[in-house]
Amino acid sequence: MTTTAFPHVLSVRIRPLLGLASVATALIATAMALIWAPPDAVQGQVQRVMYVHVPSAWTAYLAFIVVFLASVGWLWTKRPAFDAIAVASAEIGVLFTALALVAGSIWAKPTWGVWWTWEPRLITTAVMFVMYVGYLLLRSLSSDLEGRATRAAVIGIVAVVNVPIVHLSVTWMDALHQLPSVLRPGGPALDDRMLATLIAGVVAFTVLYAWLMVARTALERARQERVLRARDA
Amino acid sequence: MVSGLRRIGLIAGRELRADARHPDGAVAAMTFMAALVLLESLIVGPQVARDTLVAPALYWIALLFAAIVVTTRSFDRELEDDALDGVLAMPGGADALYGGKLVSLAATLGLVAVVGGVVEMALLDLAVALPGHLALAVVIGTAALPAVVVLDVALTVRLRARAVLVPILALPVLLPQLVAATNAVAAALAGDAVASLAWSGLLVAIALVYATLGLTIAGTAIE
Repeated sequence: MTTTAFPHVLSVRIRPLLGLASVATALIATAMALIWAPPDAVQGQVQRVMYVHVPSAWTAYLAFIVVFLASVGWLWTKRPAFDAIAVASAEIGVLFTALALVAGSIWAKPTWGVWWTWEPRLITTAVMFVMYVGYLLLRSLSSDLEGRATRAAVIGIVAVVNVPIVHLSVTWMDALHQLPSVLRPGGPALDDRMLATLIAGVVAFTVLYAWLMVARTALERARQERVLRARDA
Repeated sequence: MVSGLRRIGLIAGRELRADARHPDGAVAAMTFMAALVLLESLIVGPQVARDTLVAPALYWIALLFAAIVVTTRSFDRELEDDALDGVLAMPGGADALYGGKLVSLAATLGLVAVVGGVVEMALLDLAVALPGHLALAVVIGTAALPAVVVLDVALTVRLRARAVLVPILALPVLLPQLVAATNAVAAALAGDAVASLAWSGLLVAIALVYATLGLTIAGTAIE
């Protein structure tokens, strides 16, 4: 396995810009969520948790789709950059899935009366979370670079099936969880200001994902370099 | 295609002969399953365990863990005899190994499923309204189990932490399969023929998806 340094332009120029963009979009999205967006007619102020919960779930979906694509890329080309992208995206995906679960739980308590309920969206999300924790465990318990990347890629390909299952679980089964707010047949079912705020949140979380991805991928590439140098010495 | 199927047949035959000569894996799985059914029933209490939905759930959870035991033992035997590298060195060896293990383990698990089922029915004094539907659901559910378990055991075969990793990797993937199998058997116990067949049909669909996925990526995973 050969590797090359992480692209200089990404680590030196784009990374700080992404950091600035992430802070700026987060500030704008926070202001919109707390001040500009109206409270929900039924749920009141607590509905504002949606502006963290939905973007977290969207970012987790995105992260796991990137894991799938990078896993296919690794199996296809055996280029270590794909493995670095896969592990970076999996870690960030697990982080955002946990955030979506915690935010959802905080939202559920005042609206449903419980922190957790055995409901299709919650169960499928928890299963997805466990599966990607298993992915990270598999990686952490393997020592050889190529074998670890190949084993992880197989799980990364299999586990992506969770993403459509989680998203569509509320339409397939009788669910307490509300239907998708934006990606639903017939278009978004939200007030215009709520929709704009939600989109701002999704943009902010996506930029944050990109920033974390560049940083974590660079770290993984440096780690790969170090391991290969030690092996060649 | 024909030579691929022939190789799978050769591996499956070799596995079944090895199981017949040294049935330690199958015996361990049967004992494990019987112990698990007994303990699960004791923990929740026989009244709860006898429920038409609880009894099948206990059965499939026990059979799943028995499948992990018997599959792990099967791969351990390959490692002990240094046979794994020899099989993988053959052209199409990894695919043949996966397919062969799938066939042979389904057969071995069938035996474990029958023994475990008889033990559970005797212990819990279960009444079966539709024996034919019950047999169909158990056959399909048992044949469907190895696809994911073999893949996960193959992925972790050379790792020391395999005992921890296999259940963590397999259980979430097998969740839809366990739900379908439990409901198919529960409906057969309760006498709902249409529901039993519908859940068995879903089980077939899930099994086909997993087996196809397994056959597609097993070569890469095992190598």
